[in-house]
Amino acid sequence: MMAGAEKIVEADNSEAIITRIEHKSRKIESLLKQNKPVEALKTALEGSPPVTRDERCKSANWIVVHRALMAIKNVEGMFSSLDPEYYDILMKYLYRGLSTGDRPTCDQCLRVHEKLTERAGLGCILRSLADTVNTV
Amino acid sequence: MANPLKLYLTCVRNTLEAAMCLQNFPCQEVERHNKPEVELKTSPELLLNPVLICRNEAEKCLIETSINSLRISLKVKQADELENILAKKFLRFLSMRAEAFQVLRRKPVQGYDISFLITNYHCEEMQKQKLIDFIVQFMEDIDKEISELKMSVSTRGRLVATEFLKQFL
Repeated sequence: MMAGAEKIVEADNSEAIITRIEHKSRKIESLLKQNKPVEALKTALEGSPPVTRDERCKSANWIVVHRALMAIKNVEGMFSSLDPEYYDILMKYLYRGLSTGDRPTCDQCLRVHEKLTERAGLGCILRSLADTVNTV
Repeated sequence: MANPLKLYLTCVRNTLEAAMCLQNFPCQEVERHNKPEVELKTSPELLLNPVLICRNEAEKCLIETSINSLRISLKVKQADELENILAKKFLRFLSMRAEAFQVLRRKPVQGYDISFLITNYHCEEMQKQKLIDFIVQFMEDIDKEISELKMSVSTRGRLVATEFLKQFL
């Protein structure tokens, strides 16, 4: 019975999460039009990863983060305005991007990965490897 | 192009430096046994998230870590049929002599061309930095080796054909 109740909560939660991701996506589109890619990335990373086991929510969130990440042209400049609390979650999304195999995504992710490792160190990489609970 | 290659190798190097944190861990199920946990995958608490680093559609590198072992699988670039055959033969040649390399795996993981298995014993005997240097150097050199092999095959083919067809002149 508890498992049943959990499943129902999960389903509602998924819908709520997807709605939230759609809101985020609209905000990010408007920020990108105003030429503010770093704010767009911050908005995308907030509230990530979604606390659910539903793959659709994770994929939806990844699409949003991907959009913001590909819009960034100046990687150095981005790090000067990105807060350290976002480093760990950004690293997880970078590895997700690197696993896609799509050439422009991989190029961008490799560029950001190098700078992020310089900034955040190897601990950031290890935290993204070791966290089996909050995956993206 | 050199620069994307350099970024790819830097990414792999950083990930390996972070992931190569191995310690001795005797088998939990069978007493007095000591097995590389990344190969067996029996207990999820001993495994870290596997990481796939793609440079493009053709080249990728899979890094799987566990508490006492680390497995690196590479897929090298194969532009055409000839490179395909050369890469397969060359890497099979290396894999058959895995004893000499110590860290090489006799069979590559499904879907990849060559695999390395590094255990805590290797890290105790050898320096971690040197192991990582070896793997990254290997990735850099494998492309050059295969291009050289391809060029020598084409040159030899051309010479043989010229000699053979001379008799018909």
